[in-house]
Amino acid sequence: MNRLLLILWSLGPMLWQLYTSFRPNATLTGNPMQGGWTLEHYQALLGGNPPFWRYLLNSGVVGLSSTLLTLVVAVPCAYGLSRLGRKTARNVNVLVAIAAAFPYVLLFLALLQVARDLHLGNNLLALSLPYTGLSLPLAILLLQASFRDIPPELEEAARLEGLGLWQRLRWVLLPLMAPAIASASLLIFLFCWNEYPIALTWLSRADLLTLAPAMARIAGSSVFTVPYGGFAAATVLGSIPLIVLVLVFQRQIVSGLTQGAIKG
Amino acid sequence: MAPALLLLLAVFALPMLQYAWLSTQAQTVLTELEPQPVGLAQWQRLLQDGRFWQDAFQTLRFGLCSVGLELVLGLAVALLLNQPLRGRTLLRTVSLLPWALPTTVMALGWRWIFNDPFGPINLLLAQLGLPTVSFLGDPSITWLSMVWADTWKTTPFVALLLLAGLQTIPADLYEAAALEGANRWQSLRRITLPLLSPYILIAVLFRLAQALGVFDLVQVLTAGGPAGSTESLALYAYINAMRFLDFGYSATLMLAAFVLMLLLSGGAVLLWLVSRPRWAGGQR
Repeated sequence: MNRLLLILWSLGPMLWQLYTSFRPNATLTGNPMQGGWTLEHYQALLGGNPPFWRYLLNSGVVGLSSTLLTLVVAVPCAYGLSRLGRKTARNVNVLVAIAAAFPYVLLFLALLQVARDLHLGNNLLALSLPYTGLSLPLAILLLQASFRDIPPELEEAARLEGLGLWQRLRWVLLPLMAPAIASASLLIFLFCWNEYPIALTWLSRADLLTLAPAMARIAGSSVFTVPYGGFAAATVLGSIPLIVLVLVFQRQIVSGLTQGAIKG
Repeated sequence: MAPALLLLLAVFALPMLQYAWLSTQAQTVLTELEPQPVGLAQWQRLLQDGRFWQDAFQTLRFGLCSVGLELVLGLAVALLLNQPLRGRTLLRTVSLLPWALPTTVMALGWRWIFNDPFGPINLLLAQLGLPTVSFLGDPSITWLSMVWADTWKTTPFVALLLLAGLQTIPADLYEAAALEGANRWQSLRRITLPLLSPYILIAVLFRLAQALGVFDLVQVLTAGGPAGSTESLALYAYINAMRFLDFGYSATLMLAAFVLMLLLSGGAVLLWLVSRPRWAGGQR
């Protein structure tokens, strides 16, 4: 019974969107039992200018490039921190944890200034820079905890074998950290895919919008008279990639979320 | 390590310093968008700005209510998921979905669900012969609709954190308590809550910071309306920067919102520190 309630609570709103997205607009404002089914909302979205898949593609590009960049910057940092003394690392980590919980929406004005000064607006790859900065705290916490879980004897043995720092990282440490790296990557990707205020201020060209600002633009300004069939189709298309991601990587996402909070 | 720390400073620390400086400047269309020093005038203006106080109250109201509700519901979900149920993994996956969706996507979805009179909730009410509710059109109700949508989205996050905490509590504690004749409510109060309190604190700190910065949800669900009754501090700061081109005041508002978050987070930590010895004493 409780389980059913939980499933209904979680999925109900999404199922209603799915239902709405296949209904002609005229039937949405009448008796819900009447009327037929239609694909017109999806056709309109995918045939629009730019077509809806463009936003998904943009979000994917930003998400992937930011995730990669974050890992490249975070792995050495996490390694360094994990080799510091307990006490120093604890102090640094308090600051990193504060940054991880920081309400980043407050940063958009200053970051917008940066985009203007350095001409980084309307550039998907440039958007990875703030995203990397914002994702770093969580990545550092997760990866550092994982580095600490590796017994130091292992690295010591590899060192005695004559492996340099990079070789040790590449052949000994990183393979052991695959689960933590997967969790961190997924959380970073999710964050970048969903991020709104910075994407909203950095991107203005319609064909460069990522999903979140595109949804807001589709939503427009009017709250009351709106084509809800089209909206619903947009929410369905916007949700599918993430639903797939969660279904496939549920375990890694959950472990990343909980590890991040506990170790941090 | 250096590039990471530099980037962290550039993204988190520099903006706050820039706001601190910008909040002593006037930078508007009147100054031709050039900063001009005005001392503490922006802060005086803030204190006399009724819209700021209203938004601060509304942001606080939204933050406290949604975080409180998410804690209660999140604990209920975590307790449910902690039981050895069939299909627990599937249940966990399903309950995680709302959290993973972009806020703007789910906010647009909720706008349709809250629609008066054609949304599903109001259709149901009408079927039952009850009056429909103007979820998004009534200033005294709309902020509750926003709390509802936020709770739907972020309860899974809180639940997962608390679930991780629940799994660290040894089962023999409950068995011992049951032998002593404790009922379920007593073992929840005397064992679960005290041992869970560090996790509750983490969840509260994370969620408070994000909830008090609420922006995406307001902008898409209500655009701050009706009659400004759901406008948040972050949205007001955004409007000042992007619509009024009043950058000095926008920075002042950001700093004020930040101070508000610091105060509340500090309050939460203090509350936890004060309540800890009492719980520890009650655990005998």
